[in-house]
Amino acid sequence: MKQKTDVPQGTLALMVLKTLDVLGPLHGYGVARRIEQISGDLLAVNQGTLYPVLLKLEQEGAIESEWGASENNRRARFYRLTKEGRKQLQVETQDWEQTAAMIGRFFEVKTEDLS
Amino acid sequence: MKSLRRFLKRVGNLVTRRSQDERLSEEIEGHIALQTDENLRAGLSPVEARRQAMLKFGGVEGMKEEYREARGLHFVESLVQDVRFAIRSLQRTPGLTLFVVITLALGIGMTSATFSMVDGLVFRPYPVPHPGNVVTLVSTTHDNVFDYFSYREYLDIRDKTKSYDGVIASADMEAVGFSAERTATPRIKGGVMVSGNYFQVLGVEPRLGRGFREDEDQVPGRNPVVVLGPDFWKHEFASDPSILGRTIRLNGTEFTVIGVAPDSFPGMLTFGLPDFYVPLAMARVFSTNLQKNFFEDRDDRELNVKARLKPDATLQQARNELARLAQDLEREYPKVNRGRTAAVYTLYETRTREDDNWKFGVVFAILALAVLLVACTNVAGLLLSRARARKREISIRLALGAGRFRLIRLLLTESLILAFLGGLAGVAIGYGVVEWFHSKDTIVFMTELPAAVPFRMDTRILLASLALAALSALLCGLAPALQSTRVDLVTGLKSADADVPGRKRLWGRNVLVVAQVSTSLMLLTASFLMARGFQHSLLEGTGFAKDHLLMVKFDPRLMQYNTPQTQQFYKLLAERMRETPGVRSEALTQNIPLGQDEFYGLAFVPDGFQMPQDRENFNSTMDTVDEGYFQTMGIPILQGRGFLASDTSDAPLVAVVNERFAKHYWPGGDAVGKHIRLDSRTGTPVEIVGVAQTIKYQSTFEKPIDFVYMPLAQHPIARMVLMLRSSGDPLQLVQPVKDVVRTLDANMPMLQTRAYEDFYVNAAVKGPGIAIQLVGTMGTVGLLLAVAGLYGLVAYNVSRRTHEIGIRMALGAGSKDVLRLVMGKGLVLVGMGTAIGLAMGFAVERLMNSVLFNAGGIDILAYIIVVPSMFLVTMLATYVPARRACRIAPTQALRYE
Repeated sequence: MKQKTDVPQGTLALMVLKTLDVLGPLHGYGVARRIEQISGDLLAVNQGTLYPVLLKLEQEGAIESEWGASENNRRARFYRLTKEGRKQLQVETQDWEQTAAMIGRFFEVKTEDLS
Repeated sequence: MKSLRRFLKRVGNLVTRRSQDERLSEEIEGHIALQTDENLRAGLSPVEARRQAMLKFGGVEGMKEEYREARGLHFVESLVQDVRFAIRSLQRTPGLTLFVVITLALGIGMTSATFSMVDGLVFRPYPVPHPGNVVTLVSTTHDNVFDYFSYREYLDIRDKTKSYDGVIASADMEAVGFSAERTATPRIKGGVMVSGNYFQVLGVEPRLGRGFREDEDQVPGRNPVVVLGPDFWKHEFASDPSILGRTIRLNGTEFTVIGVAPDSFPGMLTFGLPDFYVPLAMARVFSTNLQKNFFEDRDDRELNVKARLKPDATLQQARNELARLAQDLEREYPKVNRGRTAAVYTLYETRTREDDNWKFGVVFAILALAVLLVACTNVAGLLLSRARARKREISIRLALGAGRFRLIRLLLTESLILAFLGGLAGVAIGYGVVEWFHSKDTIVFMTELPAAVPFRMDTRILLASLALAALSALLCGLAPALQSTRVDLVTGLKSADADVPGRKRLWGRNVLVVAQVSTSLMLLTASFLMARGFQHSLLEGTGFAKDHLLMVKFDPRLMQYNTPQTQQFYKLLAERMRETPGVRSEALTQNIPLGQDEFYGLAFVPDGFQMPQDRENFNSTMDTVDEGYFQTMGIPILQGRGFLASDTSDAPLVAVVNERFAKHYWPGGDAVGKHIRLDSRTGTPVEIVGVAQTIKYQSTFEKPIDFVYMPLAQHPIARMVLMLRSSGDPLQLVQPVKDVVRTLDANMPMLQTRAYEDFYVNAAVKGPGIAIQLVGTMGTVGLLLAVAGLYGLVAYNVSRRTHEIGIRMALGAGSKDVLRLVMGKGLVLVGMGTAIGLAMGFAVERLMNSVLFNAGGIDILAYIIVVPSMFLVTMLATYVPARRACRIAPTQALRYE
């Protein structure tokens, strides 16, 4: 059975990092919304799975967090990319692009190309 | 790096868990609120908006669980939960918990106490830096795997070997007359002669002053210097630091104190704690063999040689090197070194070959492990029954989604806690046993020399005990945990305690019953055997009269007597004592029977005896006695005569042998008049003039041994024991002896002045009694545990079949049929246990016979008593519940559960 939540953890983490990189400090809901907007309904059902990822990133030092007020004045925890997180994002983006390019080339190869 | 940081964060999170949980809840709340706001803006009703928001968020609890696992050390957290839960559930059954803890404590306590014995006797490293590369060099012969070296041989080894960073020599600890002042009467202390490099090679730094220099051990008699032992310095000189440079008197000679050994170095001996050390070069002041020249005679073997192996030398190299050296010596000095080889022993080999004490430790440890095994099976049985009673609870947990591994872990945590508590209490028990041993020091060592039982509860033993506790937790917890979590949920939930048909389930409990029966049978056999063997050898008697005997030991060398002076002293002493009123007869002997000192050995060849190819001579134990000895000790002369006053040093050499010796070499019974030659075929001939009855010489347990008596007049010995047979209380003779000694030499110390019977009771009855008590205690504890456990297990097994019995009876079975059925099953198990137990019992009996008593033969009575009583207990355990089951009305039995 295929589930929408079967997102590889690293992928979700990379999305979180990129989101925070582009949008700056953001609360969990904001990150979830953004990922939803871009990836379609990837997180449509299980927004909650985001929080363990946020925690892991924070433990690794890639992001840090503090309490703040949301746009409509609700208390929310805001996550911010650290210097280290930026570095990690760079490295992982490169890795990802390389992998993607490679896989892409692989799929472009047609049977006749090999004959 | 990243993972380290995450780990540290996680450890931190353990502490701040509560606030973290709050933070998460708040975040979730905020998240949902924001989503709800959004949904409201999209035009949903408030209720629907919130519902949609929560749906979108997903499973909160699952996420929280995931979050927690990511956040902290999940394992530690759940362990804490397990421990809390286990403690709670143990508190709910305090009686059971207490019983289990006590049971385990007894097992672990016994084992840790005996481990401390084995450690002290065999494994504990020498108290020096890098003890691992200190080896012992020994001279070996056909009959002796642990002989010492002579001074000359030591010098050869020291100078001609290359595998060592130094070779040291030390003599046995001996009694030395010590006085701090010139005027004070000497008191007996324990001194050890050591080579000049002793402290330096061992790496022992004196806490005060210095150790010996090599040049202080070069010229005989030149450097009277002494290094004090730590305890001696503390007790005798109140830890006075100004002791350095002072002179003390040892055996009448002034010695200068140059150093004090550190507290960390109580000495290299297993039992003895030397009071001081003196250089070998001062040997003339101390007790060496009077008939030999310590510094010159190559066969005056009085030195224990040890060496520190070079880091790059292997043991094998050292062994080969020493073997070559021994060959050279044999070639060079065929007279004294024929048939002699040499060996290098590690610490372990040294301790197990030097003497047989270690065997006691090992036997005790094996028995104690058996007690622990019984304790563990007991606890396993209890936990098993308990686990079955909890089947419903476990089924519910499993049904609610608990993993089997998690449940096993929970159950194991319970047994771990039990074992840990048991281990703590066990260490306390072990400590008590060791203390009890120490309180017996004065009985064990009937000597003036400083000595102590080397058993103690140190870190090594504590660690071993904890390991034992963990092991027993696994032993008694794993099987129940595995079995109880392997349940069929449906039946498990339906009834609390029902047996599913099938033989497999009963298997575990049956094994427990068999194991308990056999182990406790073995334990019982062992302790019974020991007590009986002891009783037997006491009843057998010693072969001589122990009552009305006073013993006083003399060592004229403490007063610097030479050989003629010594002989004169003993001659006059004997004469005057004979004239003293109240003295019925008098004797002098080098060693008393059943004493602490070992008898000397005598190498000889029976005249005209065809020696085997590979043997130069035979060995026998011997004693040197005067002409009054046989009469005074009440040892009958069976053939020929005892010694006479006419057997002087000018007369032909004579000897008296014991009956066993005579039968051994002259089975025809014509030993009197035959000759033995000392040392070799061409040695001095000695005529056998009499055959004395064989008595107990070294211990009350010994098998008859060969024994030779030599007359004192032909064999001058310095240290002798005066034995007086009194008409009244032997202690009333103490004052007359003192008066006589004063007329001979006012300063001559009287050592070990005792009634022989007191000595005998201490050494031969109370001493072994300690061992008997220990084994007896283990046997009793094992039996009690086994009976309790066995009864419980069997009774439980039967009571679980109540339902079945009800059905059988409802179908028409009579109570006799039921009894037969139930008891037959129990008896099969007991029978199996008995068979295994008997086999183990025989093995232990053989072991104990070879190690402890030498009583020989199989003690049938032990089995006649032990086996039926085990059967009886089991029968009872089967019968009582079986009978109860029979009496229950079928209708009731069917409803049981």
